[in-house]
Amino acid sequence: MTNEPLPHFLDGALRRITQEKPVEQAAINRVLARLSPPLPRQKTPLWQMPSVLLNWEFAPAWPRMVALAACAVLGFYVGIAGLDRRFDQIDARFASASRADLGSIVFEPESLTGARP
Amino acid sequence: MDDSDEALMARVARGDEVAYRLLSRRHVPAMLGLARRILGNAADAEDVAQEAMLRVWTHAPRWQPLAAFRTWLTRIVVNLCLDRKRRAPWVDLDAAGDIVDPTPDAGEQAEQSERVRLVAQATAELPARQRTAIVLTYGDGMSNAQVAEILDTTVSAVETLLVRAKQNLRRALESVIDKDKAG
Repeated sequence: MTNEPLPHFLDGALRRITQEKPVEQAAINRVLARLSPPLPRQKTPLWQMPSVLLNWEFAPAWPRMVALAACAVLGFYVGIAGLDRRFDQIDARFASASRADLGSIVFEPESLTGARP
Repeated sequence: MDDSDEALMARVARGDEVAYRLLSRRHVPAMLGLARRILGNAADAEDVAQEAMLRVWTHAPRWQPLAAFRTWLTRIVVNLCLDRKRRAPWVDLDAAGDIVDPTPDAGEQAEQSERVRLVAQATAELPARQRTAIVLTYGDGMSNAQVAEILDTTVSAVETLLVRAKQNLRRALESVIDKDKAG
């Protein structure tokens, strides 16, 4: 790849062709007219959403939202742990399962063939 | 009040239409001229300038002042021009029709006009990125680093673009160059 200097006339011609020429006012006015309102909606990044909501007077009350989320999480854990059942019944189901079901699966002979597991 | 481009952009980011109008009035003429020189077509250049300024409006809240506003806007215009060139290649044969050198006599003047017309034709037929690099370097007097920033590439890639553009021009204008050497 060579980088010889361009012939003088070519250099000059390139400068002439590419130099900034004044643009007629009519063309500028046409473009400016097309940019007049109504303008499209601006794209707002997600991290600026709270300020947009504030601008819309639609501000989230953060302490209330935190309290709501905390209640939801607490409710989920209460449901999972079974704390809504009576204390003496909490282990009953698991105990009966281990006594009847697991024992029959593991130790009892198959009723038709008599085969043992 | 600070009316620098960056200050106006900060206001545009908050949805200030007056600031946007000021910014448009300031930059539309230059961007229109740049788009014309890259595309070689006045109607397309107007579309590109409009689209570029609309992007300034819609993307203003995301704009970070990492580079000068003018550089960012130039990059938008150049990218839109390259997209347009990619979709529909357009060759301008009349780009240099009105260029006249006042000093030489009529014969020499006609010959020079013809030469310039041929150079304009050869430049119009260059690949879009090469032509853009030529326009920004020769027309706007930008450094290779500035062109690289606008084309979102490296300085060495810009140098390669310019070298290839000159090679292509030399090849296309071989007969004219030989005539120039002989004369």
